[in-house]
Amino acid sequence: MTGDQAAQNRPIFDTGLLSRCISCGFCLAACPTYALTGDEASSPRGRITLMRALDAGTLPPGDPTLAEQASFCLGCRACEPVCPAGVQYGELLEQWRGYQWTGRRRPPVVRLLIFAAERARAHQIAGRLRGAAHTAAAERPGPALMLGCFERSLFPQVSRSALALAPELAAPTRQGCCGALHAHNGEPERGRQLAEQLGAQLPAQIVSTAGGCAAYLSAVLGRDRVMELSEYLQARVTGQVRIGGRLARVTLQDSCHLRNGMGVWREPRALLAAVAEYVEVPGAGRCCGAAGTYSLVRPRDSRRVLDPKLDAIEAAGVDYVAAVNPGCLRQLRQGLRRRKSAVRAQHIADLLRMAADSRPPS
Amino acid sequence: MVDEPRIPRPVLAELRAIAGPEHIRLADGERAVYARDATPLFHGMPDAVVAPADADQIARILRLATEHRIPVVPRGAGSNLCAATVPLAGGIVLSTARMNRVIEVAPDEMLARAQTGVTTQGLGDAAAEHGLFYPPDPGSRTVSTIGGNVATCAGGLRGLKYGVTRNYVLGLTVVLPTGEIIRTGGRLWKDVVGYDLTRLLTGSEGTLGVITEVTAALLPRPETSRTGLAYFDSLTDAGGAVADIIAAGVIPSTLEFLDRKCMDAVEQYAHLGLHSGAGALLLFGDDGDDAVVTRSFERIAAACKNRGAIEIQTAGDITNSEALLTARRCTLPALSRLGSLTILEDASVPRPHLAEMVARIDAIAAKHRVTIATFGHAGDGNLHPTCVLESASDTDGIARAERAFADVFRAAIELGGTITGEHGVGAAKLPYLEERLGTAQLGLLQRIKTAFDPAGILNPGKLGSALTGQDNDDRSGQR
Repeated sequence: MTGDQAAQNRPIFDTGLLSRCISCGFCLAACPTYALTGDEASSPRGRITLMRALDAGTLPPGDPTLAEQASFCLGCRACEPVCPAGVQYGELLEQWRGYQWTGRRRPPVVRLLIFAAERARAHQIAGRLRGAAHTAAAERPGPALMLGCFERSLFPQVSRSALALAPELAAPTRQGCCGALHAHNGEPERGRQLAEQLGAQLPAQIVSTAGGCAAYLSAVLGRDRVMELSEYLQARVTGQVRIGGRLARVTLQDSCHLRNGMGVWREPRALLAAVAEYVEVPGAGRCCGAAGTYSLVRPRDSRRVLDPKLDAIEAAGVDYVAAVNPGCLRQLRQGLRRRKSAVRAQHIADLLRMAADSRPPS
Repeated sequence: MVDEPRIPRPVLAELRAIAGPEHIRLADGERAVYARDATPLFHGMPDAVVAPADADQIARILRLATEHRIPVVPRGAGSNLCAATVPLAGGIVLSTARMNRVIEVAPDEMLARAQTGVTTQGLGDAAAEHGLFYPPDPGSRTVSTIGGNVATCAGGLRGLKYGVTRNYVLGLTVVLPTGEIIRTGGRLWKDVVGYDLTRLLTGSEGTLGVITEVTAALLPRPETSRTGLAYFDSLTDAGGAVADIIAAGVIPSTLEFLDRKCMDAVEQYAHLGLHSGAGALLLFGDDGDDAVVTRSFERIAAACKNRGAIEIQTAGDITNSEALLTARRCTLPALSRLGSLTILEDASVPRPHLAEMVARIDAIAAKHRVTIATFGHAGDGNLHPTCVLESASDTDGIARAERAFADVFRAAIELGGTITGEHGVGAAKLPYLEERLGTAQLGLLQRIKTAFDPAGILNPGKLGSALTGQDNDDRSGQR
């Protein structure tokens, strides 16, 4: 079989990464897809067994379970912080999809998104038209705000709010995609290339309003080059978010890669607690089902992951749920709108700006 | 792996009809993930994976399997360490994943009823909602199932003061391989009708019946729970302190130790800031009335000081002690940071021989030129010497490790101990069973097995099976 030969000629996985797993199963409890199915195949341990079978050639590259599980995985990396052996699952998944999603085997919607993400100039123009943040190039040499590709036109006010909160940031329009989309969807080399390009375009510290982008950039450029907005702001917030004469009740939905990849989860909570009544909803650290392209590639599964989360958010009686990643924001908004919920989803930058703009209570 | 299905098509059709087609897995990849559990070096491809919804479905599946002589391997989370859920003879893996409901918590009777697939943690959380407490605390509690805990009589970190799983099983619902559903025990602490089948089934490793429901005894949740630690130059010193602590009349809820290698591995994962120069760590904990805990901590600290502890820390707040305990539970997987193949053992000796056993393990490691990291439940004499090897392809190293462990078992038995304290026999310890039990007892075990399972379909190649050469031939070096 030619596929087998190809598998033998080119190593798919970094062997050192694959052999780290001792199959203890400690990851099962953290995995959202295992929670949905109870099936070992859709657990991190099971998927690593599948990767090993692919690597060893005991399963052929065209095996349907391989294809299904590489796609069913959210890529949320919740298995990493609970893994005592230190398995770098996110890295392994990138390598797996790099093999599994080559050419025509890549889901069409992913091909479309990557095609769109590659249109950097179009994003720049759309961002300007939609009113995303912009500062003239070379005006501010210090830390720069990353504008993202889709966030610019989907949620242009987020970068404006970020700039209002941290006016010293540079926000040059000429900056490209971070490459996370590519890396997580079968093009790890191209992803790395884009991340490095962006690193060159924004040579100082990069501040991001997207947890997913921040985590990927920091993995490529180094942790010290990249900060997520709430991490960057530290305690620099003022005012209060109020609703009907009282302090608003606010919760946070973590960004998976920000939490599991960068270890940032205390910071946004501290900021929200400073301007509102912070309520921790059980399961806030678990994936919302947006998961990059997942909500488009597997809309049904995405909703199955989201639904219990929305139940918990509604049960907590909060006014706002804050997101730290545009994908999560979109997912939460759509989900809450579908069930005509009174809870509103906002990006943390917008909530903090709301607080800063409010008059302090007399 | 692309062999012909060994289960006849009409049987597969019946399995589909029983459990529903969406709960049967037959594809190569779907089955491959059930070929192993948390035990290294054991591997066996099942022919089908079925996830039934309840005891009735299991009864129909087992009747079918008995009729057609198809092996059935019950599986909870697959987190056991004795290859108890590896389908060495193929057949059907019976996953209990769908049976995951806590049926009731009865505070007035201090018990809970749970379906077999509920996690240990899930049962503990349900009990905690009523101010109650399920004490058994195996390292894998976040994933392990209560049915699996009962089937292996899981131990854990609280064994010394609270005992192990068997001390909390009041009753079981079990499906026999011949298809009958029986209830053993019940809701009563006192009930002596018939042989104690509840005890017999606890630790039976899925060889006598499939446990579908567990009635577990609970205790009131202790008012306070604290953890502290002491550092020593060597594990032997720590072992001496353990003897003194218990001689002083203190029964701590937790008394765990780790050697230097284990401390390094745990530190790499948990970043707790453990002492970098000490040779051994003794982790102690107690719970109960605040004044009692304070007093027992004073006595533990005094005993450690007497035995030359380098440093003693009594972490005050609960978050801190939870972090310590969590880190301890993760020792085994964390050890794989030192080498990608970790084979761990589970020897248990009477407490007075603990220090001696530790010394013997060191000598055995040197003799066979293997790296052994030792941690374990010092309080109950249960040790987990773990051989750390570079990779699974190091066949020479594996052979040396196996010789070393044969010596470890013999040393344990010589000291009045046993070959497995809490992990179970499964396939991993089967070769040592006769040495530990003697021919007469082994024969009785096999007759009991036949009484429950005349066709020999339940978990063949494990505890209670006839010892045949085939059991070892099925072991694969593939990880």
